[in-house]
Amino acid sequence: MDIVEMEVDKLYRDQFGKMLSSLLRFSDDIDLEAAEDVVQDTFSAALVAWKMDGLPDNPAAWLYKVSRNRALNKIKEAKKFVRKNAGGGGDWIGEGNVGPEDPVVQSMPLDDEQLVLLFACAHPDLAPKVQVVITLKYVVNLKVEAIARILGLTIDGIDKMLSRARQKIRDERILFHEPSAAALIPRVHSVHKVLYLIFNEGYKSSWGKELIREELCEEALIMTRALSRSVVGDRETHALYALMLFNAARIKARFGRDGELLDLEEQDRTLWDQDLIRLAMVNLEFAHGGGASTYYCEAAIAGLHCAAETFWATNWNAIIRIYKQLIGLQANPFVELNYAVAIYYSGDREQALGILHELEKQAFLGRYYLLHASLGRIYAAEGNKERAKEYLETTLRLTNAPDEIAFVQRLIKKME
Amino acid sequence: MQKFMLIVREDLAQLKRDGEAERFRRMRIMTAWAESLQESVNFLGGEPLEITRRWVTRDQVLSDGPFIESKEGISGYIMINAENIEQAAAIAQGCPLVQQGFLIMEVSPILLNNGC
Repeated sequence: MDIVEMEVDKLYRDQFGKMLSSLLRFSDDIDLEAAEDVVQDTFSAALVAWKMDGLPDNPAAWLYKVSRNRALNKIKEAKKFVRKNAGGGGDWIGEGNVGPEDPVVQSMPLDDEQLVLLFACAHPDLAPKVQVVITLKYVVNLKVEAIARILGLTIDGIDKMLSRARQKIRDERILFHEPSAAALIPRVHSVHKVLYLIFNEGYKSSWGKELIREELCEEALIMTRALSRSVVGDRETHALYALMLFNAARIKARFGRDGELLDLEEQDRTLWDQDLIRLAMVNLEFAHGGGASTYYCEAAIAGLHCAAETFWATNWNAIIRIYKQLIGLQANPFVELNYAVAIYYSGDREQALGILHELEKQAFLGRYYLLHASLGRIYAAEGNKERAKEYLETTLRLTNAPDEIAFVQRLIKKME
Repeated sequence: MQKFMLIVREDLAQLKRDGEAERFRRMRIMTAWAESLQESVNFLGGEPLEITRRWVTRDQVLSDGPFIESKEGISGYIMINAENIEQAAAIAQGCPLVQQGFLIMEVSPILLNNGC
């Protein structure tokens, strides 16, 4: 490799992601796919130009300038194209969204078999849980026994779900026709939910105790990445991908030496995977500007946790602001619980306890183990051992999960 | 996404006979189910009702009402988000208490003002 090739190679590794995100921030009129093409072309052009004329004074600046000019040309061309083909029909490209009428999108079929199947499984008539089951069966290719174990269901129950769902899949038109982006776009949201649920199934229970769960997280990550790179992936896909990456980055720190569950405060933050966090941050930037989605909010919250050097250095005020946004999108008592906990750590104990005790009065939430666990921990932190113990002991009566039980017992022990 | 109400119907007389402890046991199952619905971004809220009733008609207030012997009464409600009524029904079908035959659910979209 000569010096120019080496320089281009190094810049590519260092700058590719940054150039991409800078282009996407530079203009709403360019989507990720087009931006990737532009950056790629810019590097090819650099190789040719620098071999002829030698390295410029500031190679990185050269790259950014050329890529911006190329992006501008591309946007102008696209606008001309739309005007010519759609008869001036709207400024969709200016809005940065893709609708079913887009001539450009329709001509680009999905090339990934797995993705098409994924869309078929996200049939809108099926319950999300059933969508997850058939996705695990037909896309991830898990056996019924494995699916039953992962989801805590009986084999018989899975079989029943499958037989009902098979009919829907058989009726599924997108499997048998050349799938057009237009047919897939209305379903992207359902696909996101399936991927989110699959990742969570892998994530929420004991890491490392069952290898299959680890694979589940990986499968969800791979599918989400593929979706984010396909023509039907949108900003929400990037938000979801960022959320998964932030969580995946912290996976190794979630359990202690003896396999015990550790919370955010106890985790050894040096075990967090900084490469995954960086990748997540890039995806969070790609997701920016797409309007707030629940995944975007959750990813932003996870990102703030990942960015904090210590638990006490966490930017709780920013987290509270995002929770408020999340409640606007998805008001339910479970989100309020998390909101209240964040308020407590931001220093407003009165307001936090007010919300939690209000939730306690509700018949359903009053029997939710995490509500009691949160109250127990707060009273323990406040030095009110008696009330703390009461709440933690109620928690033990409300959950059957061995990890959670061990965790709460440890909290009780620590207090004594 | 559309909002749906799942109206929970149970044999109220039986529920009374079963006692508080049994009702609380079932509520815990509902809580766990609500948690799974919240994970799939479907749960909006819900509450169980007390068994005490008053039936009101034009002429009088009937303290126990004429329906106390009827098998089913409304024992609570759940609000969810779903793609369509098929999915909402499929979600309701997944409730463990429905599957164990303790209750049935009536699923209906919430009427929106379409202008008139």
